[in-house]
Amino acid sequence: MSITPRQPGWTRAGIYCLYGVAFAFALSIATRAGLSYDPLVDGESVLRIALLGVPFFFLVGLGLFTYWFRWAAGAPTIPEDHSGHGAKSWKSYLYPNTDHKVIGIQYVVTSFFFMFVGGLMAMLIRAELAAPGRQFVDANTYNGLFSVHASLLIFLFIIPVFAGLANYVLPLMIGAPDMAFPRLNALSFWLLPVAGTMMIASFFAPGGSFASGWTAYAPLSTSAPIGQEFFTIGVQFAGASSIATALNFLVTIITMRAPGMSFFRMPLLVWANFSTSLLVVIATPFVAASQFFVLLDRSLGFNFFDAGQGGDVLMYQHVFWFYSHPAVYIMMLPGFGIVSEILAVKSRKPVFGYRMMAFSLLAIVVLGFTVWAHHMFVSGMQSWIRVPMMVTTAIIAVPTGIKIFSWLATMWHGVLKLDTPMLFTLGFLTMFVLGGISGVMLAMIPLTIHVSDTYFIVAHIHYVLFGGSLFTIFAGVYFWFPKMTGRMYDERLGKLHFWMTFIFFNATFAPMHLIGVQGMPRRVADYAEQFATWNLVISLAAFGTGISTLIFAYNMIASWRGGPRATGNPWRSLTLEWQVTSPPPVFNFDEIPTVVGGPYEYGVPGAVHGVFGGSGTTAEPTQEPAESAGTPST
Amino acid sequence: MDAALPVTGTTTHEEHHGPPEANRSSRVDPQMLGMLLFIISEIMVFGAFFTAYFFVRIVGDNPWPAEGTELPKLIAGINTAILLSSSLTLHWAQTSVKNGNRRGLKVGMLTTFLLGATFLLVQINEYVNIGFAPSDHAQGSIFYGLTGLHGAHVFIGLILLAIVTVRAFRGHFSEKEHAGLEIPGIYWHFVDVMWVVVYTSVYIV
Repeated sequence: MSITPRQPGWTRAGIYCLYGVAFAFALSIATRAGLSYDPLVDGESVLRIALLGVPFFFLVGLGLFTYWFRWAAGAPTIPEDHSGHGAKSWKSYLYPNTDHKVIGIQYVVTSFFFMFVGGLMAMLIRAELAAPGRQFVDANTYNGLFSVHASLLIFLFIIPVFAGLANYVLPLMIGAPDMAFPRLNALSFWLLPVAGTMMIASFFAPGGSFASGWTAYAPLSTSAPIGQEFFTIGVQFAGASSIATALNFLVTIITMRAPGMSFFRMPLLVWANFSTSLLVVIATPFVAASQFFVLLDRSLGFNFFDAGQGGDVLMYQHVFWFYSHPAVYIMMLPGFGIVSEILAVKSRKPVFGYRMMAFSLLAIVVLGFTVWAHHMFVSGMQSWIRVPMMVTTAIIAVPTGIKIFSWLATMWHGVLKLDTPMLFTLGFLTMFVLGGISGVMLAMIPLTIHVSDTYFIVAHIHYVLFGGSLFTIFAGVYFWFPKMTGRMYDERLGKLHFWMTFIFFNATFAPMHLIGVQGMPRRVADYAEQFATWNLVISLAAFGTGISTLIFAYNMIASWRGGPRATGNPWRSLTLEWQVTSPPPVFNFDEIPTVVGGPYEYGVPGAVHGVFGGSGTTAEPTQEPAESAGTPST
Repeated sequence: MDAALPVTGTTTHEEHHGPPEANRSSRVDPQMLGMLLFIISEIMVFGAFFTAYFFVRIVGDNPWPAEGTELPKLIAGINTAILLSSSLTLHWAQTSVKNGNRRGLKVGMLTTFLLGATFLLVQINEYVNIGFAPSDHAQGSIFYGLTGLHGAHVFIGLILLAIVTVRAFRGHFSEKEHAGLEIPGIYWHFVDVMWVVVYTSVYIV
């Protein structure tokens, strides 16, 4: 196949990017000439327009809008020949594709790439903090490092990697041939590399990268150098991607479930993504708006945050946290879903309290919108808001507690299989409880006032996002690796990865509680002599954590290339995605299965979740005699 | 590296030439549901801007409008009437296509588009003559922020209306197939209703 510049693809995308830069220059110069500004060429103005505009040129060049342009012009659209479906070789993953399985893998691999970049920044941060005084980077670069570290891992890793895993397994789980809007799905993926590249590229901006933390509080962000706008605008693209995916999940879950799959027969992963998507659709516009405010203040001289002109800087924090507190549940609920799947399968028991598990997810969605100001106890906001927010924050631990106890009860008297996904799940349970407990501690106003902006906060956030979210991500990746690649991963390396991560993670973040309570401030490149010993320990442990992820990367790449072939259902799971081959056929199912029972009837003789072909036999007999014997006919 | 290729397992699927028909588990049309959920997101964007309005006007207790400025209530009121009438003509176009009246569809869409464009032009004219800039004070920022956000939505709505109008003139849509008219229509009605909220809170109250 010869590649011509006019064909959608990377060549055309590159050329269109140049057009985009030219467009930015032209628009900026024309506007400045029209308003008779001097000088005519202003670098910041051109860069700003380019940051907003070039991504669209890139995406058009890649061919993501081709279909919609034809449709909008009323021209006959190209009939779907499914040529954009399925991956023919590894090269297919480098191009837009409308197959949810291809997009799922694109999502997961891309977000793990950003995890490694963000992780490298964490290594640099720890190298700088290994001893008091200045080691490798100056204070401003340090600020940039922790800001980009957090932004990448939150917006480009944890949020999208969950969307990617769900993108792969969710349509299979509910018996759908694809997502509801495949072209929108492709677009939402391709917005991510745009956002991530933008955030990393901020290091090359004049004045350095954005350095105001991932929270980008005004007025710090409205007075920072131009690098700040790489965050301001990058978040818009990441947020748009989130919202588009969430719409897609909601519509898919509501309108495309297999016959017989009522809401209370859905696997809990589907429930979790349903709840997460609700949060994304309702909350994400707020972070978009908060960054619009910053952008307007910076570029057009608006006064949203200029107190001298009647603006209000606390308004930024309210709007930001009205998104960003629900966002911590956006980063956790899909993990709850993954854990529910794995615990049931690996304990060979039904999930305890299935309905309460589903309802507690919805309770978290509702309560998640009532707690935002607990991030602002020391901000100087109206003091009467503090106590109600403390109470709601303590209450939100209740639905989370329901889930913890349901998981424990699921394992009770189960036949536990302690392989890598299960180990990470158990690691999640213990670590998330620790992070949750420090969370409830932080809800208490007196304690927060004492430890605000100390390493106690750093310890808490990493116990919930690393020990919580990342452990479930690892669990999910190992669990569905055979389904996604058709290969088995190396169990020995997997276990080594788990134990190294578990030990070094705790060695890294547990001491931070201590030095936090003693008053070591976060987000500072230097610290008092008294914290030197602990910081050296933390840094060494952090490097161990870094090495453990290399084991993970090696295991994934080597197993994908040459691991033993996986059977369709290596875990003897009942849910629908395991009833097809590994990897699944291009169109998922020969025909849509019919769901006849709950998803977790493990240990119940003859229990079936879905049947294929109406003949009453499952597509692949489960390999457990107790369960395959006496498969009922429908 | 052939890792991405399907494993030849117990069943082969090469004979397939398309996906199986998805089960429809809800009576709601997927496209319509997607648009309604998107509108929830849109309402939240406006919600964030109204939060800014709330903080500047109520919490900050700043005079509204800012001292020495005046908002053209009357012209904006007429403009409101123009925008709301475009919802009526859009409904006329939708009713026409359901009754097989192609002329009504075309005239209705064209009128809707022109009314919407008129609204936007009047709004721009208002910006030019209003006598303050967003950089003058926070009230100005809020005024331009809210009306500008709404104006951007009118602009996007106009693009959608233009698409529908072009397709209408090129012979698309019929009594049975008019989802491509209904779904942008919902968006346009949302833009109109949102303006009533913006107009009431910014100009009237």
